[in-house]
Amino acid sequence: MDRWIAGLGRRELLTILLLAVEVVLFSLLTDNFLTASNLFSVLRNSAEVALVAIGMTIVMILGGIDISVGSALGVAAILVSRVVLAQGHPLVAVAVGLSAGLLIGAVNGLLVSKARIVPIIATLGTMYILRAAVFGMLGGQWITGLAPIVPAVTASTVFGLPSAFVFVLVFYAGFWYVLTYTRFGRYVHQVGNNPEAAQLAGINANQVRIISFALLGALTGVASILYVSRMGGVEITVGATLPIRAIAASVVGGVAVTGGRGTLVGTLAGVLFIDTMRNGIVLLGVPSLWEQFVVGVLIVVAVALDLAFEKREERRRVLERFRLRTARVGGPL
Amino acid sequence: MRWSLWHLFSNRVAFLLLLVPIVALILGQMSPWFLTLDNLLGMTQFGAVLALLGMGQTLVIVGGGAGIDLSIGAILSLTGVILGLLVRAGVNVWLAALMSILFAGLLGMGNGLVVTRLRLPPLIATLGTMYAYGAIALVITRGFPISGFPPEFAFLGQEYIFDLIPAQVLLVVVPAWIVLHYIVRYTRFGREVYLVGTNERAAALSGINVQAVRTWLYTLAGVLAGLGAVINSSWLFSARPDVGNNMELQAITVAVLGGASMLGGEGSLTGTMLAVLILTMVSSGLQLANVPVIWQLAVQGGILLGAVAFNQALALRAARERGVRL
Repeated sequence: MDRWIAGLGRRELLTILLLAVEVVLFSLLTDNFLTASNLFSVLRNSAEVALVAIGMTIVMILGGIDISVGSALGVAAILVSRVVLAQGHPLVAVAVGLSAGLLIGAVNGLLVSKARIVPIIATLGTMYILRAAVFGMLGGQWITGLAPIVPAVTASTVFGLPSAFVFVLVFYAGFWYVLTYTRFGRYVHQVGNNPEAAQLAGINANQVRIISFALLGALTGVASILYVSRMGGVEITVGATLPIRAIAASVVGGVAVTGGRGTLVGTLAGVLFIDTMRNGIVLLGVPSLWEQFVVGVLIVVAVALDLAFEKREERRRVLERFRLRTARVGGPL
Repeated sequence: MRWSLWHLFSNRVAFLLLLVPIVALILGQMSPWFLTLDNLLGMTQFGAVLALLGMGQTLVIVGGGAGIDLSIGAILSLTGVILGLLVRAGVNVWLAALMSILFAGLLGMGNGLVVTRLRLPPLIATLGTMYAYGAIALVITRGFPISGFPPEFAFLGQEYIFDLIPAQVLLVVVPAWIVLHYIVRYTRFGREVYLVGTNERAAALSGINVQAVRTWLYTLAGVLAGLGAVINSSWLFSARPDVGNNMELQAITVAVLGGASMLGGEGSLTGTMLAVLILTMVSSGLQLANVPVIWQLAVQGGILLGAVAFNQALALRAARERGVRL
């Protein structure tokens, strides 16, 4: 009864339940929420955060964090649009975006593992440098008016769903498999739970860290391609809220900030929960300035709930162990 | 213990003390105006708010338990807005300043209670309150700046003492530094902060109320951000609801550059002040040398990464020479 879908624990069910309640509430309270065009736009607009959140979840399970992803997406997006502006083949654009992201992620991984800089500080440093690069490369002007690079992903539908969302689902399925059933996935969890023990057990913790940060970078690169294709250009504020949204989605989805625990099912539910909320409160007629307030309170409430659940679970386990032991010795009577 | 240069400069304060004249000389080469007394003293005004935020951040980080405060930028914005509204409502500006500093303390205490009572990891707790406080500032101003401070309020942020030293530095930042330094070095609370940060269990077992100490640290960080809001409003003569955006990241930058370890128990106010001095020198020096503003961000990131990595390498080397296996 505990596990009726492999890898789906109670924590993710809580987020999925919250998402369902939220969808029902917004459907009842507003006229325009439950329309295909609105739901499609929520799914389409969440694609980039959803991709980055996969990598963020992996890095956070490791006990790390990356606040440079927004600026990294900006740099990759500008490089991608340069290729498009130079009439390059879309495949070249895709390769450029992907490798730019991968490279940035690998540098973050090296700073964290080899230079032993704490993740939040290392990525704070690269964030400054990449943000300066975004400003410098844009030179005060937005890039606009580009034709979509991958219209098949950003502007069409598959099986009646926006293809961007299907694309995201494929990535989630792939990485869910990697995290749940492969050696790399186990290493990520082990290093996140106890780095010293993992190292003693023969796991090359630094290698796992570098690969994880590089994966996050590569996913950010993929997201940058979707961004350019969807926006038809690059804004100067590109990716400003991305790191915080990806972290919030992971946390709302049940990733432990202390590392060692988290699932992609929960993260996907977290992404949809936050983006549905952002959409819903606008439809409710709440001034969009309140949006941040709601997201902020949501993060605190979600994590507080999570901790309360965990404490109850812990108490239940201790009690059960006590009962088992007393039963074995014949009980107190 | 054998003495060597490695040992000396693996101490962060000594390392930064060496870095200050080097940076000053480099910037002096880039612009002839940089190394003038007028400029060196005058530029300290650009670091005043950052110094206050940085000291608060340092103490929160030193207090351990993965302590960090992402909300101090939002507290800076919201407190400035409250100050503006109080003044507009006819309250005497100095009384309003005092009230808004207390208000900022309450915001900080809110952080502390979320961290210590709800037991949320500080990163998440203050990420949440950063959003919440920042949104309140935006909502009550609808995004527009508040102006209309009385002329006598300009004294704090725009005047010079002896025609040389900016008033906010001499009358606010330096006294705040001295008071905090005294608290950290010579009071029981100061010792408790470092003990709590170094070993939470040992501190609790020796009768220290760990959660209370941490709650007070977040409150203190709030008060310092409130103080920052007052001098910032006087300096800019308006209260913008987004004025503190990204200030929390700069505060973390100076705290870490100054030697604070994210693991807690390590860090000093002197180091943080030196880090503020270095970053302020660099940004105003690059401006004098006509380097585009955008590159200052990159230089700031480079200094942060370079200094921390270099210092870490020195510390590792020093530890190895002492025979510590790592």
